[in-house]
Amino acid sequence: MFDFEFGEDLELIAETAKGFATDALFPKLREHERARAVDASVRASYAEMGLAGLELPESLGGAELGPLARVLVNEELAAGDAGAALALDPLGPALYPLLEIGGEDAVREFALPLLETDGARAIFLDAADAELEVGTTVTGSVPWVPSDRADLLVLLRDDDAIVVRDGITTGELRGSGMRAAGASELTLTAAPIAARFEGRAGAARSRARARLYMASLLVGVLRQAADFSREYAVEREAFGRPIAHHQGLTFLIIDMLAAVDGARLLLHEAAWRLEHGAAGEAAAAAAYAEAIEASTLIGPNAVQILGGHGFMQDYPVEKYMREARAIGLAIGGLDAAREDAWTALADADCHVQLSHLEVAQ
Amino acid sequence: MNFEIDESIQGPLAALRERGRNEARPIGLEADRLGRPIPVGDPYFARLIARGEGRTRWRGPDGEKKARSKPKSAGSRPSRRTVKTLLFVEELAYWDRGVVVANPGVGLPEANVIAMGTDEQKERFLGPFLAPDRPRWACFAMTEPGAGSDAAAIQTTARRDGDHWILNGAKCFIGNATRSDWILAQATLDPTQGRDAQRAFFIEQGTPGLGGFRIEKKMGLKAYESTSFTLQECRVPGANLLGGEARYEKRDGFKGAMKAFNAGRPVVAANAVGIGRAALDEALAFAREHDRLADPRVRDRLERAARKLKLSRLLCLKAGWLADREKPNIIEASMCKLVAAQVGQEATSLGMELLGTVGARGDHLIEKLYRDVKALDMVEGTGQIQRIIMARQLVGLPR
Repeated sequence: MFDFEFGEDLELIAETAKGFATDALFPKLREHERARAVDASVRASYAEMGLAGLELPESLGGAELGPLARVLVNEELAAGDAGAALALDPLGPALYPLLEIGGEDAVREFALPLLETDGARAIFLDAADAELEVGTTVTGSVPWVPSDRADLLVLLRDDDAIVVRDGITTGELRGSGMRAAGASELTLTAAPIAARFEGRAGAARSRARARLYMASLLVGVLRQAADFSREYAVEREAFGRPIAHHQGLTFLIIDMLAAVDGARLLLHEAAWRLEHGAAGEAAAAAAYAEAIEASTLIGPNAVQILGGHGFMQDYPVEKYMREARAIGLAIGGLDAAREDAWTALADADCHVQLSHLEVAQ
Repeated sequence: MNFEIDESIQGPLAALRERGRNEARPIGLEADRLGRPIPVGDPYFARLIARGEGRTRWRGPDGEKKARSKPKSAGSRPSRRTVKTLLFVEELAYWDRGVVVANPGVGLPEANVIAMGTDEQKERFLGPFLAPDRPRWACFAMTEPGAGSDAAAIQTTARRDGDHWILNGAKCFIGNATRSDWILAQATLDPTQGRDAQRAFFIEQGTPGLGGFRIEKKMGLKAYESTSFTLQECRVPGANLLGGEARYEKRDGFKGAMKAFNAGRPVVAANAVGIGRAALDEALAFAREHDRLADPRVRDRLERAARKLKLSRLLCLKAGWLADREKPNIIEASMCKLVAAQVGQEATSLGMELLGTVGARGDHLIEKLYRDVKALDMVEGTGQIQRIIMARQLVGLPR
C-alpha cells in the first residue's frame, strides 16, 4: 500500500549525494563549466563516496541498486551541477543497454575497463538523436554529446543496441549546457561494430531507464532553479516589499514549485515501477515529458524573477535555463517521449488506467 | 516507497465502480436533464439506507469509550483512512460527483462534530445517523453572499441572550440545507475580530427564525441542492454551541481546532481527478470511434491529459498520506487542490474539443462533466486562495 517514504537506505544515499552536491559541486559550478571538467580533488572525493558503481551488479563490484537510487542521486547531484553530475558518471545511461540486453558479460567486457581509465566516458546515444548508417560498420555524425571524449558509444535502437569503440572522432563544441561534462560532435567513419545485442523488450527497458536518468537530472535542475529564484524573491525588495509578495510573482513562484513537485512524483512512480519489474516504459516516458514541460515554465522564469541579474553570469539561474533546455533534448526529446507515453492510452480499451498503480507483482 | 493499491482496496473500488455505473451515473444524468436536485423521496435514497449507507462514522458512545480505553500500541501502523477515502472519492466522482453530495449522511460537518463536539452533542446530533430509520442529512453553513474564500469576513452574528444564542445573518450555496435535520452554521461574536471570534452552532430544522430557503439554479452538479437561507433572530439553546463554552475559555476560538494537516482539500482534488478521468475515458472512446487516433495532435493532447491526471492523483495521495501520519501537509493539500482542479477542467475541455459540435448540442456526458468540474476550483478555497495559502508557507506572504 501507498508509501511515499524511500526507506532508510535510499534516504541515506540521497543525503550523501546532497551533501556532496552542496559542498563540492555548487560552489565550483562556474569553475567546472569553464574548465569543461570536474576538478581532480572533487572527483577524488566523489570516488570515495562509492556512488560510482551504484547500479552495477554486485558480482562486478557494484552496489546493484536500481532506478529509485539512481533518480534520487541524480536529482541531488544535478541540483548542485548537472554538468558535473554527468562528468562524474563515466558510464551514464550507456550502462543500461549493456546491462538490460547484453547482460553481465557485456558490462564486464565493455563498461568495466572504462572505470579503470581516468577521464574515460561512455556515450549513450538513442537512434533518434543522430543520423547514423548502420551496416557492417557505422558511419555518420552525432550533432552533440555532453562529453569531450567518446571511449565507448552505445547506440540504442528499437530492437537492439550497437556498441562501437573505435573509429569515433570528436570535434569540440561550445555546448549550450552542461559544459562541465564537455561538449562535442562525433563523426563515425566506417566505425567497426564491437558488439550487437538484440532484444526488443530490453531495448525498451533501456530507453525507459535512460529517460529516467535524464528526467532526474532535469528535476534536480528545476528544483534548484525554483528554490534559488524563490529565495532571491524573498530577499529582494521592490516598491517597498519583497518581490515575492507582489501577487504577479507570488503566483508564478507557487506554480513553479508545484510543477517541480508534480514532475518529481511522476518520476518516482515510474522509477518504482521499473525497480519492481512492472511495465514502466510509458510511465518513464511520461515522467520525462512532464519534466521537459515543467522546464519550459521554470527555466526562463527563474531568470525572469531575478530580472537583469538573472541574465548575468554572476548568478546561476541563466545556467539552469540553458541546461534545463538541453537536458530535455535527449532520446528524441519531448515529442518522442509523448509518443511513447501515449502507448499507455493506445492499449486502453474503454477505461484509461493512467498507467499507474495497477501493478502485477 | 510503494504505489500499489492492494486488494483490500481494489475490492471495494470495484464495487463502487459497479454501483456508480448502474446507479449514480444514470441518476445524475437524469437530474441534470431535469435541472433539479434528486427529490428527498426518491427510492434511490431509500435503497442506500436499506443497504446500510448514510451512516455516521462516529461509533456511538460505547464505541468511543472502547476506543479511548484501548491504548495505542507504539509500533502500530499509521492510519490509511485518508488515502483510502481519496481513492474511493475519486471513483465515486468518476460516475457522478453531484449524486455523491446528494447522498444521505452527516456529510461536511461530520469531521468537525467528531473532533470538537461534546459527548452530549455527538449523541444528540450524530446519534440519529448511527442506524438511520430513513434518509437523513445534515449540512455545514459557512459561506455567505459577501464571504466566500475570505471566511474570516462572515457577517452572521451570534448574540448571547441568557442561556440561549440569537443568530442573525444570511448563508448561501449550502448543500442539502432544506432536507437537513440540522445545520451547523458558522457565526461571529464580533465581526471585527476575524476567525478568533467565530463559533459554530447547531440549528435544528424548523427552528423559528431559520427560513427564506431558496434552492439555487446552478451550471452543473444539479443532483444536489445548493441553498441559500436566512437567520432572523434565530434562537438556539446554549448547548448548541459546538464544543461547548468551556472549550473556548481554554482555546483561542476556531483556530484552536485547526490542525496542521488537512484532509478536506485533497478530497476536493480527488473529486476533480475523478471527473477528469471520466472525461478522458469518454474522449478517448469518442476519438477512437471516429478514427481520430492516427492524428498526432489528438494523441498528444490525450496523452497530456492522462499524464496530468496521474500527476494530480499522486499529489492528492501524497497530501493524504501525510494527513494519515498527522504530518504537516498544508502546502501539499493546497497544491493538489490547485493543480487537480485545473487539470480536471482541462481534461473536460479537451473532451469538448474532440467532440466538436457534438459537444455544443448540450446532451453529451462530457458536456455535463465540463460544467460539473468547474465548481471544484471554487469549493474549499479557489485556486487563487490555495496559492496564497502556499505562499504564506513558502515565501512568507503576510496575512
